[in-house]
Amino acid sequence: MNVATASGYLESLLHGRLQLPASQLAWFNRLRADAVERVGAQRVPTTRNEEWRFTDISPLIKLPFQPVYAASNLQAAEVEHFYLDPAAPRLVFVDGVYAPQLSTQLLSPATDSNIMITNLSAAVSAHVMALEPHLGRHAEFHNNVFTALNTSFLHDGALIIVPRNVSVDMPVHLLFIATQKEAASYPRCLLIAESGSAVTVIEDHVALQEGVYATNVVAEIALADNARVNHIRVQRDSSQAFHIASCAVSLAQASCYRSTSITLGARISRYNLSVRLTGEGAECTVDGLTLIAERQLADTHTCIDHVKPYGISRQSHKCIVDGAAHAVFNGKIIVHPDAQHTDSTQSSRNLLLSGRAHIDTKPQLEIFADDVKCAHGATVGQLDSEEIFYLMSRGLSEMTARNLLTYAFGAEIIERIPIASLKHQLEQTVLERTQRN
Amino acid sequence: MSAVLQNLVNQPYKHGFVTEIESDVAPKGLNEGTIRLISAKKNEPEWLLEFRLKAYQKWLTMEEPQWPNVKYPKIDFQAISYYSAPKPRKKLGSMDEVDPELLRTFEKLGVPMHERAVLAGVAVDVIFDSVSVATTYKQKLAEVGIIFGSISEAVHTHPDLVRQYLGTVVPIGDNYYAALNSAVFTDGSFCFIPKGVKCPMDLSTYFRINTQESGQFERTLIIAEEGASVSYLEGCTAPRFDTNQLHAAVVELIAHDNADIKYSTVQNWYAGDENGVGGIFNFVTKRGLAKGVNSRISWTQVETGSAITWKYPSCVLQGDNSVGEFYSVAVTNNYQQADTGTKMIHLGKNTRSTIVSKGISAGHSNNSYRGLVRIGPTATGARNYSQCDSMLIGDQCSASTFPYIQVRNNSAIVEHEASTSKIGEDQLFYFAQRGIGNEEAVSMIINGFCKDVFQQLPMEFAVEATKLLGFKLEGSVG
Repeated sequence: MNVATASGYLESLLHGRLQLPASQLAWFNRLRADAVERVGAQRVPTTRNEEWRFTDISPLIKLPFQPVYAASNLQAAEVEHFYLDPAAPRLVFVDGVYAPQLSTQLLSPATDSNIMITNLSAAVSAHVMALEPHLGRHAEFHNNVFTALNTSFLHDGALIIVPRNVSVDMPVHLLFIATQKEAASYPRCLLIAESGSAVTVIEDHVALQEGVYATNVVAEIALADNARVNHIRVQRDSSQAFHIASCAVSLAQASCYRSTSITLGARISRYNLSVRLTGEGAECTVDGLTLIAERQLADTHTCIDHVKPYGISRQSHKCIVDGAAHAVFNGKIIVHPDAQHTDSTQSSRNLLLSGRAHIDTKPQLEIFADDVKCAHGATVGQLDSEEIFYLMSRGLSEMTARNLLTYAFGAEIIERIPIASLKHQLEQTVLERTQRN
Repeated sequence: MSAVLQNLVNQPYKHGFVTEIESDVAPKGLNEGTIRLISAKKNEPEWLLEFRLKAYQKWLTMEEPQWPNVKYPKIDFQAISYYSAPKPRKKLGSMDEVDPELLRTFEKLGVPMHERAVLAGVAVDVIFDSVSVATTYKQKLAEVGIIFGSISEAVHTHPDLVRQYLGTVVPIGDNYYAALNSAVFTDGSFCFIPKGVKCPMDLSTYFRINTQESGQFERTLIIAEEGASVSYLEGCTAPRFDTNQLHAAVVELIAHDNADIKYSTVQNWYAGDENGVGGIFNFVTKRGLAKGVNSRISWTQVETGSAITWKYPSCVLQGDNSVGEFYSVAVTNNYQQADTGTKMIHLGKNTRSTIVSKGISAGHSNNSYRGLVRIGPTATGARNYSQCDSMLIGDQCSASTFPYIQVRNNSAIVEHEASTSKIGEDQLFYFAQRGIGNEEAVSMIINGFCKDVFQQLPMEFAVEATKLLGFKLEGSVG
């Protein structure tokens, strides 16, 4: 890939942006303009860039896909099988465009508790006070060309605001459905959890059919003091798709963020998760499972940034790699000079099922404080021969024993999902993909 | 941080003195002329000059690496003198004829050369600034067929061997500093252990940077033929100077079938004063090729000096069943920066590697472990175990870990573990209860922390290393 085609690619993408309606809000327009400027100032990363060293995205830049603006007329019957719980609040986006006919939203003051679950463009002018301090403020786009691109296209998206001391009983389902080939979508999610609130959000990326398309999604999650957020992310895109995602989470004092991200789809996918513990005593649990095969490439970059003291972070990332697939994991943990008494653990465990599969993992620690507990570990390997022997001594065939252990390796992460229906679906997927005959 | 720890850390450098010996110094600057001058001064054969010029051409096209986790002012490569040799007085017949000034230097360092050589049974090939001045025990080694001496001598006495192996493990264009070294290296050690020979003693070289502003570009080449084994010690001290001195050495090890090379280093170069002024820049490329089946290469290092250390002793495990080991203790204090670690490249079947890295940072220092474990598609049954532990003393320092794990073979097993700890008040209290003072307690805790590595060092070195760590960290824990 040469530089000329790469910058030409970004320009051609931005052409699609001209059709965006200008907002009446000055700060909103400025945010988008800043982002456009940052896109112009950056280049598409190559493997010479440390952050993209193992992920060659040059196939993506050959495809100058444009976003779809027309609202979809998709009917509920066609997508119903993606729904998790008919009663749960749900926001559906088809190729990145909000589909009101498929969504069930909550708009304040429709309910007593003032919970807001709606599409962004509907709320942007009415709730400036709530949005302005958060939108585009957590997901840093100055040095990330893909986040800058998403921000340049910022128009609509999912918005969830959970007011003070309110706990949302039902999980909120954010469903992103890809239906068109050769389309680009730039979905955006913003979740504001006010102090003492609690919510569970499922960010679900699915495809109606196999095909080549590109998704560039950015999520921003802000937790105020004592807030609790459970974020479940499932990426089950088409196996030919490109999926680039960023999620920026900011944690205030004593708040708690749990994340479980499951990566199953896409030809090339990249997930950047950045969690900043900016208040004392904040806590996060970041789990991930990547299950890929054939020629898929899945890259997960996480950064857990301990800024303030007494923070706790727990991370467990697993990859099961089959075929000629390639999994990348880079888990960075930073402990700032002020963040004394931080307690952090991280593990990266990887299972290679085929001789052509490969893995690059880098559990990285950067510590600037002395009174901390930090440990990380990484393993790459195959199934334990003693475990297989144990199961065989109980009468299982070697194949059954292998299948069982492989399934259990992945299921450990799936089990942490608190929604029974989703858990069941994913367990089935893991079962199907890990069984050999 | 207690006063005791503070004192421990702030020990002045004990080896800071300049030996006044007349040096033959080349004019500053680097160009083809400089390289021709070095080559001519050393009366080198044509192929070596070509090797140097090729490396120089390559170097010109390369860029200084920016990825290490270290910061330093830009080096002006034209402000360095690339050749300095003590002026030859007359041909030396015995140790008595060695420059008394030079001998006194070693005396001050606590390395009485002949004593050490005789009593400890160590052959010391003394490298003083760039030219080998005296080599002892050569004859004893020659009896079993071992060639051990300076590389510039070996170029004349064994040109075929040098030509066959030089630049095969670290190619001239391997990295910026390796290319620079290949172009301008002045001297270093050469060691050849013939087939089936177990070297009867530990081989040792003392490096010493002397002339102010003259960079040192050492080149070491060690070859162990089939079934041979050798243990090689490298120890470094340098006098105190305020201008930064660049040191870019290249070390190449080659182990053939069933051969065994053990390379140990204790590095205590001038690290700059407590404000981070001065100190040595140590940008070293060390790599061993475990070429034959069942061969073994083991690196052990104790890094306590230098303002900046940039060093990754590596093993390329090419032969089936070959073994690579890396044991390291890196101590940084004041404003020292260390970015060190290893690379284990598994290519052969059933290759095994072990990495044990202990980093201790104090003061305002910055200590990084950067390691690569790569299991190639052909490395069936490969196994790696890595452990890197950091200890932080004080809240102004930092410790980072950058382990790269790349696996291309599903029969491999790779394990990596890392932890961070500190010397806790409770630990010191426990020692105090038993009547052990803070200083001694700290020294015991640190020695316990580094035990896995010290055990790998030859005895004399282990004693020296323990002492070195003691006074490096004196007064920094409390």
